[in-house]
Amino acid sequence: MKRQALVAVAAATALVLTGCASGSDTGSKDSTELNVYAWAGEVPDSMVKMFEEETGIKVTVDTFDSNETMISKLAAGGSGYDVVEPSQYAVQLAVGQNLLAEIDYDKIEGMDNLMDKFRDPSFDPGNKYSIPWVWGTTGLMYNSTCTGGEEITSWSSMFDEKYKGKIYMLDNMLAAYIAGLQINGFSANSLDEAEVAKATESLIEQKKLLAGYNSTNYDELVVSGDACIAEAWGGSSVAEAVATHDDVHYVLPKEGGTLWVDNFAIVADAPHTDAAYKWMNFMLRPEVAAIATNEDYMSTANVAANDLITDKTMLDNPAVFAPEDQLEKSEFIVDPGEAMRFYQDGWTRVKAS
Amino acid sequence: MVTTAAQTAKPATVVKPRRKPRIQNGYAWLLLTPGLLSVLLLAVWPMVLVGRNSFATSDQYGAVTGGFTFESYLALFDPVYAKTMGYSLGIAAINTVLCLIIGYIVSNYIVAQSPQRQSLLLLLLIVPFWTDFLVRTFAWITLLGNGGPILWFAHLLGIPLDPLVPSQTAVMLALIYAFLPTAVFPIYASMRGIDPSLKEAATDLGCGWWQTHARVIAPLSTPGIIGAALLTFVPTLGVFVIPVLLGGGKELLVGNLIVTLYTEFRNQPMGAALSMVLLVLMLLSIAIGALLLKARKRSA
Repeated sequence: MKRQALVAVAAATALVLTGCASGSDTGSKDSTELNVYAWAGEVPDSMVKMFEEETGIKVTVDTFDSNETMISKLAAGGSGYDVVEPSQYAVQLAVGQNLLAEIDYDKIEGMDNLMDKFRDPSFDPGNKYSIPWVWGTTGLMYNSTCTGGEEITSWSSMFDEKYKGKIYMLDNMLAAYIAGLQINGFSANSLDEAEVAKATESLIEQKKLLAGYNSTNYDELVVSGDACIAEAWGGSSVAEAVATHDDVHYVLPKEGGTLWVDNFAIVADAPHTDAAYKWMNFMLRPEVAAIATNEDYMSTANVAANDLITDKTMLDNPAVFAPEDQLEKSEFIVDPGEAMRFYQDGWTRVKAS
Repeated sequence: MVTTAAQTAKPATVVKPRRKPRIQNGYAWLLLTPGLLSVLLLAVWPMVLVGRNSFATSDQYGAVTGGFTFESYLALFDPVYAKTMGYSLGIAAINTVLCLIIGYIVSNYIVAQSPQRQSLLLLLLIVPFWTDFLVRTFAWITLLGNGGPILWFAHLLGIPLDPLVPSQTAVMLALIYAFLPTAVFPIYASMRGIDPSLKEAATDLGCGWWQTHARVIAPLSTPGIIGAALLTFVPTLGVFVIPVLLGGGKELLVGNLIVTLYTEFRNQPMGAALSMVLLVLMLLSIAIGALLLKARKRSA
């Protein structure tokens, strides 16, 4: 009995000790490993394979499906990740919490390949902490068979009694407020309490017409006709649905477009910084950036990659690349900062109504 | 089939005066250490952290900055939180009642079978647990949604039925589905201990089906029923995936609110405060259950 107990305690102690040890691997100059934490489906397998073959570095890719999950993991410390892929507002949050390392541009080549829109963006002046990878818009998706051939061009259709029970909104506060604010003629980045309150009213009003909130398979619902109109993030699966179904359309509403962009950034306590810089340089190369569009229907932020896109119809697919005139007046959805409390208050009321 | 009558009939020699167990040099503690440590580390410590955070402040980026304030708790006095809490308690209560009714009927059926069949039926109840909860919830989308068997059958019969996903009905069905097995087991365990001759005696004395259950079987199964009620009610309060997937995210349960507070609203202190309120409600319901059991033992 005595011996068994001692063994048990020893085993428990060993477990705790090894648990601590594994987190403290400070990389040497020539790393053989790279840990990437990215949005699900935004780092193509062939890209990883190409990087591994070229550098001999073993890449581990973990995925997340919300910025908040990623940030809380980084904030807990000792995540072991080298490169993460935050969206625009999440860059602001991560920088605010000192979770990202400032990029040393002496070690970076190929920034000229990026589209102007993504150089020196509002959410990260001077690209100090992040380099854009793929981008897209927040718009609406509709099924023209379901709408009876009617062309949808405005958020107002999502507030129209006619489509009651056939409308889906994204189950995401910031995305829902884009519609709520823009339909009232306000900026999607409003910081004004009264404007947010007005948007809240509209969204509560709209809830009666909704089939539901959905940010997972809204594209399938539009394809099947269960949804006539759905608020949607342009990009891979939506773009594919548009390309393969004649009656499925994606539009940026005339009230104004909004942009999202997912960026690569180096983690402040990255164990393999040198490998992380190799990754940054690698993904900036046009032939690598083109993989994102060619294989996964994503719009690359790399304008030099456009010539290497094999399926040229992608360039005209609004769910991949937004038309240039619309892109021009589109704004990034940035973090509301202190105004967050207006949004929190409003969105709780919308959801509880 | 051990009855109290059988126990008292045991020859007195069997009952030996019990010796105090000897604890050798405190080694018993050593044996308990791994278990205690894991409870402290995996259950108590996280709750302490959550409790601490509920009194903390956070900056505009969502980082907890320490300090001590009751602000998060005071903010919960907004009626919108009471409404959500009330709605969650209501859903949990309805789910508990439905699970108890169905669970009672199922247990009553299983107990009446032969021992081999009982084992088989219990095994069948456990089989779904081999599949992840999330996957099973997704299965309900297919089952109730467009192109699913229920709609197909309804249309075959000419009944114009709309897809049931997303709807409140779907949420309720999935909740019953999720918690029914946990309701069946405790009730079954209680019922199995009831001497079948009691049922026969009740019938002999002129009790109908209803009276047999109301006056004999149900009272004797009370411990199991209370246990089942707790195992259904408490976890239902914490549910958040089912309303999102099957309810279209339109009905906010307190679990959903906590998730949103922690993530989208990046308001950890308030999320923690709401978690603490929920924890207290859960502990209260467990205490009520324990009191009911105690009161019953005393009257027995």
